[in-house]
Amino acid sequence: MTEPHFTVTESGLMTPEGMYIPGEPPKGIRRIPKGVDRLGTEHLIVNMGPQHPSTHGVLHLIVELDGEEVVTVEVSIGFLHRGIEKLAESRRFDHLGTLMDRGDYVSVIHGEQAVALAVEKLMEIEVPAKAAWIRTLTAELTRLASHLVWFGTFGLDTGAMGQFLYAMRDREVLLDILEEISGQRMMFNYVRPGGVVADLPTGIESRILSFCDTFEVYLEEHDALLGGNEIFQARVKGIGVVSKETALAFGLTGANLRASGLGFDVRRDRPYDAYPELEFDIPIGTIGDSWDRYTVRMEEMRQSLRMIRQLVGGMPGGPFTAKVPKVLRPPAGEVYASVESSRGETGIHLFTDGGTTPYRMHYRAASLFTCQLFEEILPGHLFADACMLLGSFDIMLGEVDR
Amino acid sequence: MWGKGILNGMRITMRNMLRGPITVRYPYERVTLPERARWAVEVVRDESGAHKCTACMTCVRACPDHILDLQFTTAEDKSKHIDYLRYEMGACMMCGLCVEACPFDALKMGQDYELAKLTRDELTVDLLVDVAAAAPARAKKASEVPAGGTDDSRGGGTDG
Amino acid sequence: MSPELASLLRILAAVGLMLMNGVILIYMLRRVLGRLHQRLGPVHVGPQGLLQTPMDVLKLLTKEDITPTNVDKALYFIAPAAVFTPSLMAYAAIPFSPTWMVTDLDTGLLYTLVVMSLVSMGLLMAGWASANKWSLIGGMRSVGQHIAYEIPLLLSVLPVVMYVGTLNLSSIVEAQSGTWLGILPQWFITNPLFWPAFIIFIVSALIKVNQTPFDMSEAESELVAGFATEYSSMKFGLFFLSEFSNSFIVSALAVTLFFGGWTLPFVPDEVLAPIAPVVFMLKVYVGIFVLMWIRGTLPRVRMDHLMQFAWKILIPAVLTWILVFGFIIKLFDLGRPVG
Repeated sequence: MTEPHFTVTESGLMTPEGMYIPGEPPKGIRRIPKGVDRLGTEHLIVNMGPQHPSTHGVLHLIVELDGEEVVTVEVSIGFLHRGIEKLAESRRFDHLGTLMDRGDYVSVIHGEQAVALAVEKLMEIEVPAKAAWIRTLTAELTRLASHLVWFGTFGLDTGAMGQFLYAMRDREVLLDILEEISGQRMMFNYVRPGGVVADLPTGIESRILSFCDTFEVYLEEHDALLGGNEIFQARVKGIGVVSKETALAFGLTGANLRASGLGFDVRRDRPYDAYPELEFDIPIGTIGDSWDRYTVRMEEMRQSLRMIRQLVGGMPGGPFTAKVPKVLRPPAGEVYASVESSRGETGIHLFTDGGTTPYRMHYRAASLFTCQLFEEILPGHLFADACMLLGSFDIMLGEVDR
Repeated sequence: MWGKGILNGMRITMRNMLRGPITVRYPYERVTLPERARWAVEVVRDESGAHKCTACMTCVRACPDHILDLQFTTAEDKSKHIDYLRYEMGACMMCGLCVEACPFDALKMGQDYELAKLTRDELTVDLLVDVAAAAPARAKKASEVPAGGTDDSRGGGTDG
Repeated sequence: MSPELASLLRILAAVGLMLMNGVILIYMLRRVLGRLHQRLGPVHVGPQGLLQTPMDVLKLLTKEDITPTNVDKALYFIAPAAVFTPSLMAYAAIPFSPTWMVTDLDTGLLYTLVVMSLVSMGLLMAGWASANKWSLIGGMRSVGQHIAYEIPLLLSVLPVVMYVGTLNLSSIVEAQSGTWLGILPQWFITNPLFWPAFIIFIVSALIKVNQTPFDMSEAESELVAGFATEYSSMKFGLFFLSEFSNSFIVSALAVTLFFGGWTLPFVPDEVLAPIAPVVFMLKVYVGIFVLMWIRGTLPRVRMDHLMQFAWKILIPAVLTWILVFGFIIKLFDLGRPVG
């Protein structure tokens, strides 16, 4: 990759060309078109984002275009930085969930689950079976909701508005169910160290099952509407190929990794909560192009549905939370716990000093790793494909910037 | 054949069109909120309008965003007088941690979701103003011994 | 009435029709897209939301007209007019009924197609003058796609011209009156000989109207708003209006060339004469509904796929078909020249 652009000295920032003078763009950064192409035309630099419709949030890409072809890309992140990791140092352990909700704000339960698992590991709390099952159920419902957002916005990136609205229609039902379970539509704050906040409300099982029945039909419809469309297939097949080696080198996880043909899934390989007791398949792609990422995610939605049916059917009885003290005070130590969120491996690395708040919390966000990939993958594609590629990777800027 | 998927897509959109709109026409129609829905924090009051806050400060300490502000004065007989319990609704993320923390069930998450206000000042809500704090220990005694409490009258103060 | 006054009135009527059409079509688009997406569309302003678009037009008219600093002022001002005027001019030769048309041109078909091809010049102007990179890319794309699809569009109507032997639109319509053996209307669409031409015409025409799946020039998920990014107020409104009027023209052309224009089968002429414009408009609006249906369903095509499709498939295909068609009608003496 590229050399660092500056070195920090006592007198200020030094670039290879000399001292960096504030107010001028630093010399090492590519703001000036790299050169002229074989036709003798000048390259064009466009700033895609942070207010661009298809960057899914506030990602900023500095794209150098040769006609319609992307020559170089510079990813600039940090527009949504809220200092979640620093804020965590002043939050009690059972309150960390509220912060994680705002990290990846579309697949919310997974962040809460990661924190809860980390704290439980530290304090050696045994989670009751029912709590684990409820967590897994809500996690899978959230995965569906999150994948629906990805599906809808992917459709929107290709210019088809219908997919987005149909996906939102189905997500609405999911959010209603999750609201009934947890009390809010997006920022659930439902999973806590030791279990969950409240038991499942009565009658929710039939509601979830009836959703599964209708959604099964709708999901095939979605797949036929977007994936069956020849125009769409022509646009995604063979585009943005991420080889196994690249995927590993950049630390991709989740569906993006599995699309490249590597079958790593935290749910299966480092099982947590109720996943060891569930039957599900891990879909794996072949060459890692956009089409593989699409099919892998669609298949994941089908597997989620399958898991939800098993979870509702086999829900054990018992308490919904373990006996935990009101104020959690884990022993001093260090722990890493990870879950499979909708975007990949969401990990929490906690350092504790025996107090009521973490000494340091590191949040491993899968999207951050995906973001780094863009500089490698986008060059050589057409600009229109660049937008589609961003959509196919399903990045969440709340998670990247924290 | 090339184009079959496109035609199938057209069929699907038409089928969706025939399913009819699913819009909830909000100001005219309303959805019923589930029981657990969490919106702005409210003070729990019993039939007589009495609150249960004992000014124990648990909620203030529990709030992750530090938006609850409780000021009280302690009289010589150890009874507390709440100057105000102020709530910054505009900064509230409705996580419900204060309600969970409250040992006396004096707070609840309301179900009013129309929280837009015209001025910024209205977002600062005084949940309790200038009332005597309920005394949990003595109130318990009062329920055990019917003729006990003189504190009941103090509990029913008005708020802002 | 003097002929000058009459033509002036006709032109004014065409302008009025175009403006009315714009308003009605925007309302229709919102409702149709809304229904397709299981939404309601506008329902608040006026009964069934009917007043929504007039109010939006009012809003556009009263909005501040912003001119960005670095724009090429002259071109920036001319561009909306350069887009709007051709789409208005295209109304001139459309026959709404045997008597209702602005002017009965002998070269009506050619005139309409030529005038419509001027639109892309205005779009490039707008893209270039806006001093915005997104606009520039949008303008370039629009010129590319319009030039590529001009040719198949023109060639795809040739079979009709060869069959009828005239470019006069009302003569083409008249050739389609009556029925085949008393069963099918004698519209060209019911004749399998015209189906290849019709398919090519529809594909190229979709590109002319700049709608999904061919809206690359203003692809909102890629180019923000393409050539119209820097435009506000009624200048933007003119682009908008021209786009809708283009879809009307394209639909009207399709109806005129393939669906028998104002004619209806099994209806005697004396009944048809007073309702001919209504019949024509109904047919056109059905066509526009199909355009909207396509718009609400399909994803966007990529620019290079589109170009390859045009130059490598569509143009050879249409040239071949013209040859084959010519042979067929010559061999079996099928042509029915009018007049």
